[in-house]
Amino acid sequence: MIALAFTLQPEERYLELTAPLHELVDVFEICPETTWRSDGAGRLIPNGFHAMFLARATELDKRCIAHGVAFSLGSARPDPARRAQWLERIREDRATFGFEWYTDHLGATEIDGQSLVLPLPLPHVDAAAERVRASLSALQSVVPDVGFENSVFYAQKGNPLDEPDFIASCLSVPRSHLLLDLHNVWMTAANAGFDPERYIERLPLERVIEIHISGGNVSDPAWLPSGRAMRLDSHDTAVHEDVWALAERWIPRCPNLRALTLERMEGTVEEDDVALLREELRRARKLVSA
Amino acid sequence: MTNFDLESYERVMASVLIAPDPIVALDALDADERALLEPIDHDGLRMAALLVARLRFERLMHGSARAGEWFESDPRAFTQAFKRYHASVPPLSTFPLDEARAFEAWVTSDGAPRSPA
Repeated sequence: MIALAFTLQPEERYLELTAPLHELVDVFEICPETTWRSDGAGRLIPNGFHAMFLARATELDKRCIAHGVAFSLGSARPDPARRAQWLERIREDRATFGFEWYTDHLGATEIDGQSLVLPLPLPHVDAAAERVRASLSALQSVVPDVGFENSVFYAQKGNPLDEPDFIASCLSVPRSHLLLDLHNVWMTAANAGFDPERYIERLPLERVIEIHISGGNVSDPAWLPSGRAMRLDSHDTAVHEDVWALAERWIPRCPNLRALTLERMEGTVEEDDVALLREELRRARKLVSA
Repeated sequence: MTNFDLESYERVMASVLIAPDPIVALDALDADERALLEPIDHDGLRMAALLVARLRFERLMHGSARAGEWFESDPRAFTQAFKRYHASVPPLSTFPLDEARAFEAWVTSDGAPRSPA
């Protein structure tokens, strides 16, 4: 059975407004680092949202999966001390939340001690795939099933249609999985000018453990000197019909899929949005029940 | 590309993305460094740089009530100050409270603007 999941976000108003929706899903997806803070002495400790998320999951008896942003799978030279801190914290969180799997994003967010948070695109070369595999293996010391999401790259060296082969190379580690983010594929295709179907059909679909769907806005043309508007990974609008169509078409072709997750960003939910989110969850439930 | 220099690629890409103008920074690279990144979509590079700054701004807003009050009371002055902060202080913080501490330290350093608080 494919589970239906929804994201918990670190914002009290978001949690309050979306609370009636939580009973509609099987699983909560949590970004672990949004529940941490540093203690100033080199340790990562829970922040206030850690207890709030745990209380919500316990109260409703929900399973949890982890989806991080800044483990930095692709860093060429990860900081060993930082890695050790993160793995220790993830180990403790897995014991607390029972994360069934842990995914992050394809790319590098931590470079020479600098934290960019936005994943940097990786060149499609063996050395980069090796770094990702090594990082996944490190994560597996804490959570056996690990993986990454196909990230949004606004600028990327090389042909984006070569990325599926690179992803397959990164996923040669046993029990490493792909989180297929359909909105990311769709919006990257729109920005870079390729057919999203051509990208998806090249992916190792047997490695897909989870699918993300979400909405997203278009940038203000005033942001760029060229006046160009680009699609954004902003998780702040309704899921686009094209993304629903991709979900309908590709979910049945992912034989090891375990969850479909509706993503929404904190700071983007008002009272008027709750009915839409309820309808999106209903529609997503139909897809995973088909 | 079996001998691709991954460390240099990441360092150069990061330096471009945190530069005040990523295309000016790209143009200023020497030929070897530039070859690590190109060909690349210049609009996409600018957008990625904007988002790196925006994510940092959000970390700061989540970590510092004082910065939030400054932004609310004088968005133009705060935005100018934040741009200077982003350009002069490397982004070393992943967590909001750490970003807030770094910003406070910069504000109280010589030459930085003073918030009204």
